[in-house]
Amino acid sequence: MENTTLAHHLILAGLLFVLGLTGVLMRRNLLVVYMCLELMLAAATLALVAFSRFNRTMDGAVLVFFVITVAAAEVAVGLALIVALFRKRGTVRSDELTTLRD
Amino acid sequence: MPSDLTSLVHWILFLPLGAAALSALFLRRAGTLAAWLSTGTAFAIAGLSLLLLGQGSDVTWHVELARFGGVSLGFGYLIDANARLMLFVVSFVAAWIHLFSVGYMKEDPARGRFFAGLSIFMFSILGIVVADNLLMTFIYWELVGFSSYMLIAHYFDKDFAVAASKKAFIVNRVGDLGFILGIAMCLSLYGTLDFTALRDHAAAAKTIPVAVGALLMCGFLGKSAQFPLHVWLTDAMAGPTPVSALIHAATMVAAGVYFMARVSFLLAPDVLQFIAISGAGMAALAGLCALAQTDIKKSLAYSTLAHLGIMGCAIGLGRPDLALMHMAMHAFFKATLFLGAGSVIHGCHHEQDMRKMGGLLKKMPLTAATFIAATLSNCAVPFLAGWYSKDAIIEAAYHGGHVAIFAFLALAALATCLYSGRMLRLVFLGEANSEAAAHAHESPWTMTLPLVVLGLVYSVAGGFLASTLLPAGALQPIKPALDALAFHLTAPSTLVGLFSLVVGLFGALKFYGTVRGADALQVVSPRTYHLLEHRWMDGLYRWYVDAVQRRIAELVAFLDLLLINGVAVRWLGGGVPAVLGFLTGRSFHRGQTRAYGLWIVVGCLLLVWFLLAR
Repeated sequence: MENTTLAHHLILAGLLFVLGLTGVLMRRNLLVVYMCLELMLAAATLALVAFSRFNRTMDGAVLVFFVITVAAAEVAVGLALIVALFRKRGTVRSDELTTLRD
Repeated sequence: MPSDLTSLVHWILFLPLGAAALSALFLRRAGTLAAWLSTGTAFAIAGLSLLLLGQGSDVTWHVELARFGGVSLGFGYLIDANARLMLFVVSFVAAWIHLFSVGYMKEDPARGRFFAGLSIFMFSILGIVVADNLLMTFIYWELVGFSSYMLIAHYFDKDFAVAASKKAFIVNRVGDLGFILGIAMCLSLYGTLDFTALRDHAAAAKTIPVAVGALLMCGFLGKSAQFPLHVWLTDAMAGPTPVSALIHAATMVAAGVYFMARVSFLLAPDVLQFIAISGAGMAALAGLCALAQTDIKKSLAYSTLAHLGIMGCAIGLGRPDLALMHMAMHAFFKATLFLGAGSVIHGCHHEQDMRKMGGLLKKMPLTAATFIAATLSNCAVPFLAGWYSKDAIIEAAYHGGHVAIFAFLALAALATCLYSGRMLRLVFLGEANSEAAAHAHESPWTMTLPLVVLGLVYSVAGGFLASTLLPAGALQPIKPALDALAFHLTAPSTLVGLFSLVVGLFGALKFYGTVRGADALQVVSPRTYHLLEHRWMDGLYRWYVDAVQRRIAELVAFLDLLLINGVAVRWLGGGVPAVLGFLTGRSFHRGQTRAYGLWIVVGCLLLVWFLLAR
């Protein structure tokens, strides 16, 4: 543990972020896309908490608690939207939801 | 014992807030309980204020809330002689108006909301009185605006009440814009918003920039309904009558006068000159306009405007002490007049048209007696409350050497007597002119007791009581004004006063007796009457909004459509995909969210690259 530096954390956060981004761009199931979005958010909070840790302040860590709390609420809203979408359209596949074109 | 007094002020300020919160949160359905809670609080505050007045010592207390660089923003109290007087006047008048409301609003299903509104108003106005810096004053100032809005719109299912409340709110915002700019200017010039510190700065500086006073004055113009922002006050009569009495006659409109007295050291001579002339002009104009109102409350509202003009004039003459004295006297008799009007309206089954009243002297003796006493005080009959302050101001105008101001004030004095005589003749004398007036009845004790207390005791004997009964030192701020009355009997103001009294009052009583069930002036000279109905000011505003403001708004909207909507959004946002779509040979918008997501990522990467490459 003594050898971990800020760079390690940031690289991990970056990897997580790219992983999430790839998922958002590649996957078609909205539920999975949504999970990937959350992964991106988690990556960002990880970077934040890492900066906070290495700057020897608690500000970032405290902020992360708020982010997590709000994210939990946001997940509820997002899932509700997906459920509502499924009830209305009968599908959650993003390539079948193309009314934005019209 | 400064700490004791500070906690006294805490109680005075936060009792009504507590009552308001309690009523608004828990007592919405328990109207009677809310009414008595609010009334009890008001009387408690009145008692505490009297105690504070009796103590006669200043209170300063301050806590810092936030600090930005060298600028400290805080919450605190600055209780000087003026503040003690104002606290007492406001809380005392308000307490009796609360009691009156208990009777007046008995049938109203939304009493909980109404009394919560009265209490929040009390909190805001007392806040203005005790605040020790411009920022807190502004916050309370806006709260007063809010509670006024809420109470005017009490009958929110009536269109005119809603329109009137919006008008009051918007017109006040216009003034408040100037106010907040003035605060910003004080901050940038002096680096502080504290009244005491500002006074020191002002004393140290040779001249005060005109703009500071002019901007702060804007707030006063709005709140105290001075020309040209006076148009909201008469419409505000759409609220329940106790609200008109409390807010739009006795206290809220006086807040502007009080505030001007508080920052009088920031007012440059040019600003004072303007306030004096516009105040005197409005006093004369509004006094005459009161002659052409059929609604008893509207007529009283114009009378309030006239008195506010007189107070403004006193401020402008550099005599804030006189302005405050007149404010105090006016609060008592105008509250009585409005409550009397409320009693009359209540007794006549919600008839407000004076032409349909008449002969109420016999049917409502208590109301009539107090109303007449307050009216005489309003006309400045010698040795009644209004006489002390009003004549002192006219006297000050005479010695100030401003011929125009003196002439305007003399005209206002004459007009006051004219409309007072008209009101007495139409409402109380003669015969009943409608079914409602014929079956009028005296109001219950909760309504007549405040009338008797406020009216008989204070309007009539205000001056004497003030100098004898109240604790010594309580009248410090108006002492010079009282002393000035020594030379009264041969003074020009007395001549003007007596002349207008005799000619105005008796002339009006005679003149308005000539026609029954109608307005004599309207019959004799419809054109004069129409001019005095004062519709043209609203017309002027309508013209301004339609012809000037709307043009500017349309121009701005056009630029927005062209530059932001057109060039920035449509052209850039629509043009780029069109070009890309043309280059790749495929439609760009295919509704594929994944494709849109990809383009967002590409855009972000481009942006990052652009920022890093610089």
